[in-house]
Amino acid sequence: MAKINIEEARKLAKLSRLEFSEDELKNFVAEFDKTLEQVATIEKVDVSKVSLIENTLKSDIELRSDIVEPSFTQKEILANAPEQKDGAFVVPITVE
Amino acid sequence: MDYLKCSLYEIRQMLENNEISSVELTKLCLDRINSTQNLNAIISTCEEQAIDAAKKCDQARKKGEKLGPLAGIPVVIKDNINLVGTKTTCASKFLENWISPFNATCAQKLIDAGAVIIGKANMDEFAMGSSTENSAFGVCRNPVNEDYVPGGSSGGSAATVASFQSFASLGTDTGGSIREPASFCGVVGLKPTYGRVSRFGVVAFASSLDQVGCFTRTVRDSAIMLNVLAGEDKKDMTSAKILVPDYEKSITGSVKGKKIGIAKQFFSDALNNEVRANIEKAIKLYEDNGAEIVDIDLPSLDTALAVYYIISSAEAASNLARFDGVKYGVRAKNFSDTVDLYFKSRTQGFGKEVKRRIMLGNYVLSSGYFDAFYRKAKKVQKIIRQEFETAFEKCDVIICPTTATVAFKLGEKCDDHLAMYLNDIYTVPVNIAGLPAISIPCGKVSNGLPVGMQLIAPHFKEETLFNFGDFYEKHAKEI
Repeated sequence: MAKINIEEARKLAKLSRLEFSEDELKNFVAEFDKTLEQVATIEKVDVSKVSLIENTLKSDIELRSDIVEPSFTQKEILANAPEQKDGAFVVPITVE
Repeated sequence: MDYLKCSLYEIRQMLENNEISSVELTKLCLDRINSTQNLNAIISTCEEQAIDAAKKCDQARKKGEKLGPLAGIPVVIKDNINLVGTKTTCASKFLENWISPFNATCAQKLIDAGAVIIGKANMDEFAMGSSTENSAFGVCRNPVNEDYVPGGSSGGSAATVASFQSFASLGTDTGGSIREPASFCGVVGLKPTYGRVSRFGVVAFASSLDQVGCFTRTVRDSAIMLNVLAGEDKKDMTSAKILVPDYEKSITGSVKGKKIGIAKQFFSDALNNEVRANIEKAIKLYEDNGAEIVDIDLPSLDTALAVYYIISSAEAASNLARFDGVKYGVRAKNFSDTVDLYFKSRTQGFGKEVKRRIMLGNYVLSSGYFDAFYRKAKKVQKIIRQEFETAFEKCDVIICPTTATVAFKLGEKCDDHLAMYLNDIYTVPVNIAGLPAISIPCGKVSNGLPVGMQLIAPHFKEETLFNFGDFYEKHAKEI
């Protein structure tokens, strides 16, 4: 059964764009092992004859036509911005 | 006359007969929300919008205009459903100031049907939880006994209906988040078939499992609500292009000749004895009234919880990747660069359970584990779905408890997330298979807390749930 060590947990946190203190990470590893024990119950199931379904219910998904319709105004979209300037979202400088 | 104690069906007739106006009724509900604030069922009210909608309804009624099926009736929606001009927080610090610029389709359908939306219900953050204790806006309490949890994640939606603040509410159900709180609070909770109700405008947790449904005080009310909510939506390509019947008319008053499937896997030793006794009495009632009991087998049921946590966490990790503090939501104050902005905003904005699920989701999706966990879980999902399909060749409906126990005390499972997860063992398989199910009140146990009975039907056979549910509701006093 899969288990996780603190290094893997640190890597996972980085992938998840989340920060944890060392203590939080240690607690997390202990909890995570218990969760993995639970999810490992699927190991015993024989799936050799099962082909993968990509969609739970429908095989006939239809896409709607690509027609231009009225949408949000710039003002509406920017209304929830944490920081905005001159009609744009403000982000830190990414290119020097 | 205590108008607040009426069912939706009854209050609709009273409004039609001008016994009470929608404005009067809306004010009564808003007052009730204020006087029962200790429950913390509601995150925010939309008083101004609600009174305005109620006034318009009253004026239209006076003029003799044709009104919608929910005209003038106060309802509440879960706070992960977008409603123009209101905060949609998902009970997260991350979205505490997010104001919806659009309506979710289900909210729009309520408005089009004339309903008066009076508030947004408390929930577990991003719908992750089974007790509504993971809310950034404080725990919600069970109206039956305030020392106990209302269930979750739609705990506020259940509590508002159970405490007579509103006549119906919307919730979302990814692994039991409507049925479990309905069971704990003693109300009716419907999780329709995946695809029956549009998810457009509902903040996604696990897109392939999420489904919008409703809480009501009677089964008939639930049918009235689904009549309004169901149907294809061009904005949600997973919504089903399948004819919507008149659900209210599906209530026939008879279960004679119908077949009830009983799976031993739903009645294992984990089931509380008092809960078991209540469910068995209900099954006997159906049998005494002409229904036939058939044994069915769902051998892979014990793997459903694992499948659920793998798939739902994987989808949650992907869905929640959009929360980065750039275009909306919380933005951390001090950061060194853009990537640091993501790290800090997400760390400050998300609660513990959400972080736990994002980490699990990214784990099962990461290279080296993808096949062993995610791909395998998708295959086991197919097996579970096939087992249900085989079972439904022998029966019209499956009956089981909604939960293995009644509501637990506030704080009791907070430190043991696995015990919390295990709470969903009877509800999760339904989402894994995309089936419709309803939880209806089924008596109480000795400490006075309600028991929920779960009825599960084949895909798009919600009519069966309403017919069986209504039958029990009407005859329950006979046992």
